Amino acid sequence: MSLPDQASVTAQLAAFTADLAQAGSLRDAQAVRDRFLGRKNSVVASWMAMIGGAPPADKKAIGQRANELKQAIEALWSEYQARAEQNSRPAGAIDVTLPGRVPPLGRRHPLTLVRDRMEAIFTRMGFAIVEGPEVEDEWHCFDALNMPAEHPARDMQDTLYLAAPVVGESGRPDDTRTMLRTHTSSIQVRYMQAHEPPIRIVAPGRVYRRDDLDLTHTPMFSQMEGLAVGEGISLADLKGTLTAFAREMFSPSARVRFRPSFFPYTEPSAEIDISCWQCDGGGCPMCKRTGWIEIGGCGMVHPAVFEAVGYDPERYTGFAFGIGIERVTILRHRVQDIRLFFENDLRFLEQFPY
Amino acid sequence: MRLLVSWVRDFVAVTASPEEIAERLGLRGFEVASIEPAPDGVLPPWQQAAAGADAVIDFEVTANRPDCLSVIGFARELSTLYDVPLHAWPMPAGTAAAAAAPDSSLPVVDVRLDDPERCPRYAAAMASVTPTTSPRWMTARLEAAGVRPISPVVDITNYVLLELGHPMHAFDFSRLGGGQLRIRRATAGEAITTLDGVTRTLDPEMLVIADAGQAQAVAGVMGGGRSEVSSTTQVVAFESAYFQPSSVRRTSKRLQLKTEASARFERGTDVNAPVVAINRALALMEAIGAGRRGAVIDRYPVPRGPLAMTLRRARIGLILGLTVPDAEVERILRRLGLTVAAAADGWLVEVPTFRVDLLREIDLIEEVGRHYGFEKLEPSFPAMTLAAAAADVRIPRDRAIRTTLAAAGLTEAVTFGFIEGATARQFVTDADASQIVAIANPLTALFDVLRPSLVPGLLDALAHNRRHGRRDVALFEIGARFGAAAGERRGVGIAWTGAIAPHWSGSGRDVDFFDLKGVIERLCDVLHVPVQWHPTTAPYLTPGQSAAVFCGPSAIGVAGLVLPKIVDGRGAPKQDKVYVAELDLESLAAAQLANPAGESVQPLPRFPSSVRDLSFVVAERLSAESIRGTIQAAAAAAPAPLVSMVFFDRYKGKGVADDSVSLSVRLTFQAPGRTLTDVEAQQSFDMIVAALVREHGALQR
Repeated sequence: MSLPDQASVTAQLAAFTADLAQAGSLRDAQAVRDRFLGRKNSVVASWMAMIGGAPPADKKAIGQRANELKQAIEALWSEYQARAEQNSRPAGAIDVTLPGRVPPLGRRHPLTLVRDRMEAIFTRMGFAIVEGPEVEDEWHCFDALNMPAEHPARDMQDTLYLAAPVVGESGRPDDTRTMLRTHTSSIQVRYMQAHEPPIRIVAPGRVYRRDDLDLTHTPMFSQMEGLAVGEGISLADLKGTLTAFAREMFSPSARVRFRPSFFPYTEPSAEIDISCWQCDGGGCPMCKRTGWIEIGGCGMVHPAVFEAVGYDPERYTGFAFGIGIERVTILRHRVQDIRLFFENDLRFLEQFPY
Repeated sequence: MRLLVSWVRDFVAVTASPEEIAERLGLRGFEVASIEPAPDGVLPPWQQAAAGADAVIDFEVTANRPDCLSVIGFARELSTLYDVPLHAWPMPAGTAAAAAAPDSSLPVVDVRLDDPERCPRYAAAMASVTPTTSPRWMTARLEAAGVRPISPVVDITNYVLLELGHPMHAFDFSRLGGGQLRIRRATAGEAITTLDGVTRTLDPEMLVIADAGQAQAVAGVMGGGRSEVSSTTQVVAFESAYFQPSSVRRTSKRLQLKTEASARFERGTDVNAPVVAINRALALMEAIGAGRRGAVIDRYPVPRGPLAMTLRRARIGLILGLTVPDAEVERILRRLGLTVAAAADGWLVEVPTFRVDLLREIDLIEEVGRHYGFEKLEPSFPAMTLAAAAADVRIPRDRAIRTTLAAAGLTEAVTFGFIEGATARQFVTDADASQIVAIANPLTALFDVLRPSLVPGLLDALAHNRRHGRRDVALFEIGARFGAAAGERRGVGIAWTGAIAPHWSGSGRDVDFFDLKGVIERLCDVLHVPVQWHPTTAPYLTPGQSAAVFCGPSAIGVAGLVLPKIVDGRGAPKQDKVYVAELDLESLAAAQLANPAGESVQPLPRFPSSVRDLSFVVAERLSAESIRGTIQAAAAAAPAPLVSMVFFDRYKGKGVADDSVSLSVRLTFQAPGRTLTDVEAQQSFDMIVAALVREHGALQR
């Protein structure tokens, strides 16, 4: 047997580490330790035993190697013991990695989440949230909004009519409803009839159109309309209000662009474009390379609307806007198909936060 | 409106590229649908030196701008946009209006205007026809605009329609009985075969152009086949009229016939355009060698001039929140074709008849803002002069319902407000079937009634999930339900099937009635509405496993197990146990008002309570409700007040007779002002036991 040298120390340490790793239990590990470090028949013991028969010049070196090996193994062993201590399970120990008893959690619909978020933003800007009936009469849905009978604009919104009138929430015999509202602007009319300016409201709700169900159309969808009436309210105020909304809803750097348009109940009227939050207006697939994304329509309340509800259009001015909640949700959450909102597939709904 | 850029350059010297024109007009109210290359050969002889790149821009024209369903309309917009003058009269050169003398040999048509209300103006002109073909520039321009070339006479009317926006019609004069054009109401049942070959029956509300005998055209909508111009026509009578928009609209609607002409007339054409248009047609006819002009007849009993209105400087600033320089206001309005004169605090503006949308000051302010540029608006914020009003009470209530139900594991669904009538009838009693509200004009039978209940829609959503591999489905929805007499009422519905969250610590369990009931009880607790439960029946629920939810004397909802045939009918597996519930939120709201939550708190009890457990055997058919009632009644007369009663066990089996059940209830006695004695508690306990024995033959265990 050759005398132990530095290489022998390294080899023995490697063997010890490997054997220890193989040990299945604390008892096995103890046996491994004893084989290397025990008082009798161990590796260290056999090296110590060699010192006696070795040439005098080597005695010191052998002693040093044996000591080196002993200290290294002891260090590894105490490390192992500490680890084992940590991994041992005290009496009554539980497996804390098993699944917890999670109380079941449902989700709110994405349209509700977005609606709530929009409501929160407008509430902080001083808008009150107002609701109204889904079955309406033509006066509140059309006539009061500067769309008298025969007005071509009534054709713009394909209306679903009821086969027979339904009683209104007031219960009065003259309060009957004949159609499904085509926009939530009817809520604004009801609110203005019941309140004097200044007024600042948002009216969210479901609206109905005589439309087929396809990738981008649906016969029922939700809107949020806003209305501010007072003295000295201007189109610039509308731009500021919508800019504040866009910055919170879409991107802190969002800008608003008004594209002139036509709605019978506002004058001037405009489409609301928001600078694309994906490319910040630079042009990308999401905004079809235009840098802008349309989210709704707006304008200054038409004096004829004020006249219909008994406000003095010389004294009061106001703005109104309408934003599609599905549209905002589709844009914010990249929903590919509007039908997903109404299929109620849990695999879709569960992707949204509680 | 498909606008050929080289055509509009007949009127304005704008050399900008089609892309730039599209983009800039897009920001002035004309949305661009597409830009396409112009067809070959579209440049007319007078434009051989191309003034810039050509293209066809398809603009969307809003309903208020019928004047822009024409080249001239867009020319005015471009004239304003680029601040260039509008050419007085377009080419072809050398064919200025009234250049040639009328052909006096032509006959004169006898125009009789019987209904000046529905037809305020009727102009007609005779022209002889020379056989020829339309020149390429004309047919190319028509094609660019999406109109098929037919014959010179028809092409000319279409050319004028596109260029000036004024619809014209051409009659074959030889087919007009008595050489007459009579503008009158149709007689009842009068029939006409229109140019599309369809025979239509008219009514006296409709205006027709007739000859001495019969209707030859439906006024403003479509001509008749009998007097249609053909290759053999030698003399034409051109019609260029102004029809009352509402009359054309009604007629077009009633005949279900929409044409290029009716679309323009019903939106409003220019009452002063007819003679301009007819002269343009005659000039074109002579220019392309298609015929010679005859006399122009103009029946215009009450001529209309421009509409005058004031525009106040201050009002512009007030509405727009932007100061527009006076010179800009004047420039914009003048370029648009309006007449502007200075007035005391602004301007006096005259609006020509082609701008049917400019009726009052606000319309002028929009024009100023539109062309000055909304991009110049500096965002500001409206001043608050009053605290914001409170939200509608339904908002916080519905939010509380949503968070409560979602926290109980149910996911919110949104389903349509309309459903199929045949489905709806399965969810109401026969007596209530007449209350279902039908839609008069449904697009499909799948959505032909307003939903009387949220349950059908929720079952459809549940079935959708079951078909897509989901075993456990728990859904809710808040939404409106409708009834003829009840009107619109908001409700909350639940549909639930599958297992209660499986866990490794115990075997899973299927959802049952008491899971559903528990969620509703939790919800009513959150809303602070006390409810009671009674057995009930419903057409879609399993008898013996359905309950009505009461608040005081009125039923506010229903809950139970859906009949297998209904589950099957909605497309979910028949063997699924599906539990549904529906509560009327309007009734809940009323009950909430009667039981306001947390108005004033009670002081904490200062004296200890005394708890006794009681086990007894009673007949199984007895309801828990009646036992609770007996206990409460007995406790009311007992010395120790009963503050709580909890049923904590219900046992059937060994030691209990088949038709009986063992119940255990924990009774807590507590008095507000003193410590109860053992004697008092025991005495009360005994009185309760005695009452149970007396009323229900209970046996204490």
